[in-house]
Amino acid sequence: MAKQIPVAIEADSSEKWEAQMRKGCLEMAVLASLWHGRLYGLEILRALERDSQLILSEGTIYPILNRLRAEGLLQSQWVEAEAGHPRKYYELTGAGRQRATRMAEMWTEFSAGLGTLIEPVLKAARKTARDNGRLRKELLL
Amino acid sequence: MTNDSRVNDYLAQLRRALAGITLAEREDIVEEIHMHIRERAGDSAVNVDEILAGLGPAEELAQQYRTGLLVQKAKHSISPLLILRAALRWARTGVEGFVVFWIAVVGYLVGGGFLLLALLKPIFPQRTGLWVGPDAFEFTIRTGVLPVSTPALHEVLGWWFMPVCAVIGSLALIATTKLLQFLMKRFRWRTPLAREVVATGTLTAGWGLLT
Repeated sequence: MAKQIPVAIEADSSEKWEAQMRKGCLEMAVLASLWHGRLYGLEILRALERDSQLILSEGTIYPILNRLRAEGLLQSQWVEAEAGHPRKYYELTGAGRQRATRMAEMWTEFSAGLGTLIEPVLKAARKTARDNGRLRKELLL
Repeated sequence: MTNDSRVNDYLAQLRRALAGITLAEREDIVEEIHMHIRERAGDSAVNVDEILAGLGPAEELAQQYRTGLLVQKAKHSISPLLILRAALRWARTGVEGFVVFWIAVVGYLVGGGFLLLALLKPIFPQRTGLWVGPDAFEFTIRTGVLPVSTPALHEVLGWWFMPVCAVIGSLALIATTKLLQFLMKRFRWRTPLAREVVATGTLTAGWGLLT
């Protein structure tokens, strides 16, 4: 007999899994956000939020940028801005571009393989949703 | 407390909590956070308290910087002290870090112990050695009232004990360092990068390792 998992625990596990998955992609997302040119911290946060639905707390992005810079993947430069105060801009180094490229390739290969694997799961979920919709319609009629 | 004094207070806390990082790097970090606050404060819809809450407690923010930089340095260092410090900091973040820290402690104790025995041999030549007997096979220094050697238990290496211990100790130190460097690189993506990541509509707090 299949073991029953309490709904609350299952929901909690799903949230944790989603958070872990997002955390795992963070470095790739930060590097990718800088692909087209230099940005400062707040711009990177907004780019991640806009393009990848990765919404970080503001205190999270700066230590990550600092570590990536220490790894030689990014370089930074203070620039006097029109805003009236300087901004610290980050841009990819050669090593950063290589790392971003490699990560993007790995991500694409991985997600393509996984996509094939989970296709039957999604098909079954769609069929169940259709059946439920049809049943609801019949009940309403 | 005015907005300016709250910001200055936060930056002073951050500066204190970043002790251990070089002065230039520390000031660079504080300046960047200061400019972030000014940038966000320019948006009239946000007040200073919200901005500081978004950054999180100064100590926690500093901890993220320190951990990231320390693990980064340790990955390329051969200094057992630096690697141990990084492992200790990693140990505070989760089970894997705890295991890594104990690998570091045991590995360095074993390596250091053998090197110490090699150094003790010339000082206590009769009591230090590899003792072999019916129930014994010990690299050790024999102390106390026990007879140093008995017909059943005797030392077999003589002065070869020194180079043997030196080689075993060095190998243990090198192997521990290499293993820890490998683990730190292997689990690079698992180091505590994120204080929290907010999925769309879902707040998920948690330092834990990035696994």
